[in-house]
Formats: sequence, C-alpha cells, structure tokens
Amino acid sequence: METFDVRSTLSGRRILMTGATGFVGKVWLAMLLDKLPEIEHVYVLIRSKGRPAHERLERIFNTSPAFRPLHERHGPDLTEFLRPRLTVVEGDVSKPGLGLDPATARRLRDEVDLVVNFAGLVDFNPDLRDAIASNVEGAIHTADFVESCRQAALLHVSTCYVAGHREGRIPETLDPTRTPNGTAFDAEAEVAFLHDLVARTVVEQDAPEVHDEIREQIVERLERRGLDAKESRIRAMASRLHRRRVKEALIEAGTKRAEELGWPNTYTYTKALAEALLAARAERIPVALFRPAIVESAETFPFPGWNEGFNTSGPLVYLAGTWLRHIPAKHHNKLDVIPVDHVCKGLTTAAVALLHREHRLVYQCGTSDLRPLTMDRIFELSALAHRRHLRLHGSTKARRVLLSRWDIKVSSPEGLLSVRNIRRVVHQVNRFLRHGLPTKIPHEVRDKADELAHDGENAERRLRQIEDVMDLFQPFIHDHDFTFECRALREVPIEDPEFRFDPASIDWRTYWMDVHMPGLRRWCFPEYEGRERESYEAPHAVSLVGEAERFGVVELPAAKERTS
Amino acid sequence: MSTSAEQPERAAFVRAEGVLVSRGVLSAVAYMAAHRPGFRERGLRLLQTATAAPLFAALGQRDRALGNRIAHLPLRDMSEDRIAVLAEEYVEDILRDKVLDTGVELLRRLRREGFHVVVLCEGIDEVMGRLVRSLEVADDVHANRLEYKNGRATGKLEDPVLGGYEGGRFVRDYAAERGLDLARCRAYASKGPDIVLLSAVGEPCAVNPDYTLRKAAREADWPVMDYPA
Repeated sequence: METFDVRSTLSGRRILMTGATGFVGKVWLAMLLDKLPEIEHVYVLIRSKGRPAHERLERIFNTSPAFRPLHERHGPDLTEFLRPRLTVVEGDVSKPGLGLDPATARRLRDEVDLVVNFAGLVDFNPDLRDAIASNVEGAIHTADFVESCRQAALLHVSTCYVAGHREGRIPETLDPTRTPNGTAFDAEAEVAFLHDLVARTVVEQDAPEVHDEIREQIVERLERRGLDAKESRIRAMASRLHRRRVKEALIEAGTKRAEELGWPNTYTYTKALAEALLAARAERIPVALFRPAIVESAETFPFPGWNEGFNTSGPLVYLAGTWLRHIPAKHHNKLDVIPVDHVCKGLTTAAVALLHREHRLVYQCGTSDLRPLTMDRIFELSALAHRRHLRLHGSTKARRVLLSRWDIKVSSPEGLLSVRNIRRVVHQVNRFLRHGLPTKIPHEVRDKADELAHDGENAERRLRQIEDVMDLFQPFIHDHDFTFECRALREVPIEDPEFRFDPASIDWRTYWMDVHMPGLRRWCFPEYEGRERESYEAPHAVSLVGEAERFGVVELPAAKERTS
Repeated sequence: MSTSAEQPERAAFVRAEGVLVSRGVLSAVAYMAAHRPGFRERGLRLLQTATAAPLFAALGQRDRALGNRIAHLPLRDMSEDRIAVLAEEYVEDILRDKVLDTGVELLRRLRREGFHVVVLCEGIDEVMGRLVRSLEVADDVHANRLEYKNGRATGKLEDPVLGGYEGGRFVRDYAAERGLDLARCRAYASKGPDIVLLSAVGEPCAVNPDYTLRKAAREADWPVMDYPA
C-alpha cells in the first residue's frame, strides 16, 4: 500500500489559513511552522479590527503561549525564520472574495495549494446574523475562492456535533438532504429562508408598538430610580435597548429554527448548513469537511495543558470543584473530548490526504469510538483533581478539609438537589428576607436580613449562570450519547508516527489529572473567576509580514528585542 | 513489576509488611473506604472494613490469603482512578512515615552483598508496589493485584494471592524460572504464615517475628532479628 510522507507532501506547498486567531487555528499554525518548516509558505487571512491585520497577528505571536515552542526554538531569529514562510493577508471571510484586494486575490489564486478554513463563530446561541455571516457565508465565500484558484483544495473545519439530536454511532457521512430529525432539507433554500427570517425579525422588532413599549419601560425605570426623564437620555437608552431586543429576538429565532430541524443550537445548525452547501461543491473542488469533537487542552504541543477560553468542558469541570453536589448528566454517556494537538495532527493528516487527492468528504476527529470517556469518569477525575489541588492549596481550612472531599454526583436534571431547585429555594429565602419579615422588627435585625438577602441574591445570580451553562450543555452531557466514528483519519496511510492521528494513545487519567485540569486552572479558571490570567510575553518580539510587504511594497522592519 | 536485566545468582526474598513497613493491609483499605464518593458509601464501606478486621486477624495465622481477600472486599465498585489517587495520597501522607529505616538499610546491605532483592507485599500494587519502588531498594517487587472490570474494582484479588502459604510456592516458582539455587537464597519475614516462605530457602531469617514465627524460628534454629525500637 502506498504511504504518505507528511514532510515531502507539504514541502514546497502554499497554504492559506482563515480563522488562525482561534484556539485550534493558532495551535495548528504553530505546529505547522514548528514541525514542518519545509512548507513553502503560509498565508494567514485575518481581519483588521481597529489595527492592521499583520499587527494583530504579530501581537498574537508575541503574547500567545501557543507560539512558545517557536520562540524557544528560534529565539531572536524567529522573524528571520518567519519572513520567507509567513504572510499576513488582510481580508474577511464573511465578504465575497474573502474581502481581498484584487491584486492579492490574483496572486493567491495562482499560488495556493490548500485553503484551511477555521473561521467560524463557536458561541452556541449567537445573534443569527453573526452566525450566518461567519459559519455559513464564510464557508461559501471560502469555497468560491477555492473554486477560482488554479489548484487549491479546501479543508473546512466543522464540528462532530452537526449530528444534532441523533443518538448512538455517528458515521463519517453526510446527507445534505435530511436534517437530524428527518425533515427534508435544501441547503440553498434554507439560506434564503434564514435571510428572510432575519429580515422579518428585524422588521417585527422595528414596529411602532415595540418602540413604544421600550420607551415606556425606560421612562418607568428612570422614574423608579428618581432620575430625570430627559428626551435625549430616553432616546439614547431606547436605541441601546432596541439593539439588544433585536439581538435577543435573533438569538431566539436562530435557536428556534435549529430546534425545529433537529439541532440543539444555532452553532451546530449553521455549521451543518455550511457542510451541506460545501458538499454540493465536492464535484467541482477537492473539499474535505473536518469535524473535531470537543477540543480541549493540549497533551504535549505547544506544551502540556495549553488551553484558552472557558466554553467547552471547562464550566462542567469547574463545577466539580464547588459545593454543588449534583450535575445533570447521564451515567455512562460519553463526552467526546480530544486534546487540541491530536486535532492538529488530524488536520495535518486530512490536509495530506487532500493534497494527494485521495481524500474523503468527511473526517471526524474524536475519541469516543476508540478511547471513550464517560460522564461518570469525567466527574470522578475532575473531583479527584480538585481534591489533589485543594488539599494542598485550598485557601481556607474548610476548602482544604471539606471541599477537597466533597464529591460531585451525576444525577437527573429533575433531581431534588438540582441546580434549578437549589436556586428556587435560594430565591424564596431571598424573597422572604426582603419582603416577608414583619414590619415591626428591630433595626439591627432588618439590616442583617438585608445583608443576607444581598449575599443570597449574588448566590442566586451565580446559580442562574450555572443553570444557563447546564441548559446549554444538556444535549451533550445528558440527552444524547454519541459515538463518533473516526475511521477515515486513521486510515490515511501516514508514514511518520509523529503526525499520525492516534487517539488510542491517550491515558485519560494522566491527561485529565496531570495535564488538562492544571491547564484549565492556569489558563481558563481565572477568566471565569474574574481574575487576571497569567500573561506571556515572548522574549524577542517578532515582526510579521503583511501582504503589502510580501508583494514588494514596504521594507521589513528588523527584529525587535524586548527591553523588559 | 521490575526485573533487573542480569540473571541473578542469589536472591533475597523479603516480606514487605513487618520487615520494610510497619503498617498492614487493613490500614490502606480503611483509608480508601473512608474516601469513597458519597457519605453513605463511606459509612457502609468503613463498617465493612471494621467487620473484616477481626476476621483478618483470626485468619492471619491460618489462611492469610483468604484474610487478604476478605480485607480487600470494601474496595469493591471503587473506580481504578480513585484507587490510584488515594493510593498516592496514602503512600505520601501516611505510609512513608511508617517505613522502617532498619528494613531499608537491610535491603540496601543485601543488594551490596550481591543479592537480587525480591520484595513480596500483601498490600495491593497501587499502594505497596508504589512505595517499595519509590524506595529504590528492591530489584523486583511483587504485590497483590486488584481485579478491575470496566475501570472498577470487583473487590477480588487476582490469583495468586500473596501472603501466607502461597509464599513458599511463589519462591520455588521464581527460583525455578530464573535458575536460582534456593539453598543459597535468603528470606526475611515477620508473620507466622510466612514459615513456608522462610522454609523454602537455605538462609531464612525471622524479622520482628510474631509469637508463632518466633517459636518456629527458635525450634528451627533460624536467626531472629529484632529492630531497635
């Protein structure tokens, strides 16, 4: 059987990346540059958000720990190393032609061998307009661009959870004509429907009665607070509130449509829609859909435990270290977690297959078929990791002695001690403290009750947040038990073991307790707790090349040395 | 298990409990039972451990292997992850302080004299294996192994269960496998049921022996070693 050598396949190739500022994008870019310097060139397409695109990526290179291995390997010579290999391209996937200027687009069309589209919105229930722009139109524009290229193939990053409300083993296939609940589906018509839905929702929210209602609310609020209801103040507040109302209505419209068709949220629905649209182009362009499961802390690259954001298993794991005892999940259900560096190896594998034009349409990248991890085990390992940490580093004796031994239990969402029920009890207690006490009580007692009610309201707010997180996660941790088949990546005959996708090698206990949890504690929990996250500053700042420089307009600045 | 690369000529078989550490099997089991998830489970398994204690003591001089099996029953249905983590805690927080310095010195001396030191433990590998290996005084460590199914302990020990009369057979098989002359081998143990283990070698030695072993050692004219208090 013919085998693929990763180095020789990628040697001399030119890759265009979108969404390189995201968690997976950054790690893949760092891995590519660190492990495969043979690559001819990487173009990173990035939006200019208030500052030039190359400055944005430069900042990321100099402050994101994902690039630490590159800084360590090349030190002050990193700029020199990157100069011939990396170009920052200003653009925007949500715009036709990727928002590129014509000259840059022309060059890229001639040069690029592979386009990897990481761009997308990962919020579960975002404003429908943003979800369409990033997840659907971003994918279409990228595919259009690939189609206009001389020789490029497209690797589009999606998610395993496009499976929606399905159950059991999820094969690496795609039926663009059916939704997860069996409804007939036409992707092009669905995009038109979504645009219409957005327009209708915006018009509905622009009705005079909505504006009147908003105005009434504001006046009432100002009067309640004893503030002057000046017209200019009312108008400013009304404009803000109206924008928020439109956004909320669009979030709700997206969620409702997703649910109608069998997806748990707008994110998975719009990602699935993009897949269906891309599948229709598979006859015209070489395209592969890459579906990672829940991407978590790195096992080894860029270094063990690297993670960012707090939106995957983080909140659940965090709860295991609180006084909460019941988590709504189902015994033996699997949660498909995969370290980011394994995902990056999978991406490289799929890229190699695409470049050889021996690819499949769908590559799933998870662990549930070969190394399943159950909810019970996740909470057991999380509780044990918290135990190990709290015993030594708990801030109070209660945390060191009691909380460290306070194990979390997997239970039904309707259980007696569910978050919802606890919050209801706290709410009733708060109400009693605020309004239920007799009027003729001593002043000191009233003050104390107010103080308690204040604390109780804070607790209620936190519980409400937890409840919201639980509701978002419920489809994945309680309602469905997925096993994502991940055969296609394993079947790519990669020669070099360093790049082989091998989820079976993960030892969950070591990973969870010694890598993932310490990583979350270091990089993610501070964000949730409102604390400052550990910062990273590269010892030698790099200067990146924007397309203007690359295409011969501006002289490159020399490498800067930090004085601090 | 760790085995040295070279073929040894002489081996010294050492029972860990009593010679190297002063804590026995029940202490580790009680620690784990007390740290199971859930208050009900903790209570129940602690009660089970308390019930197993007199049985373990009563069987101690007769059928030590059965005693060990009974002693480990409270670990039933505990996850492998929890056992591993609690074992680490127990070794570091409790057991390390119970290591007998004289025992450690004895094993070091045996290695210096060219003996291939084999330590046999009644406790489970997660606890005793971990401790003995970390001391770096043995060439080979054999401990009892818990049986796991789907990542959870069944409460049973895998065969052969070390402890008591099984020790003699273990030593003979070990020697046969490696071509050792048992007449030139040594053994160190401290409990009555280890008489069979001690009898299997040419140079037995009772260390801090209990009443039964002390009596047997006297009758067989074996050397007796009592550690200084």
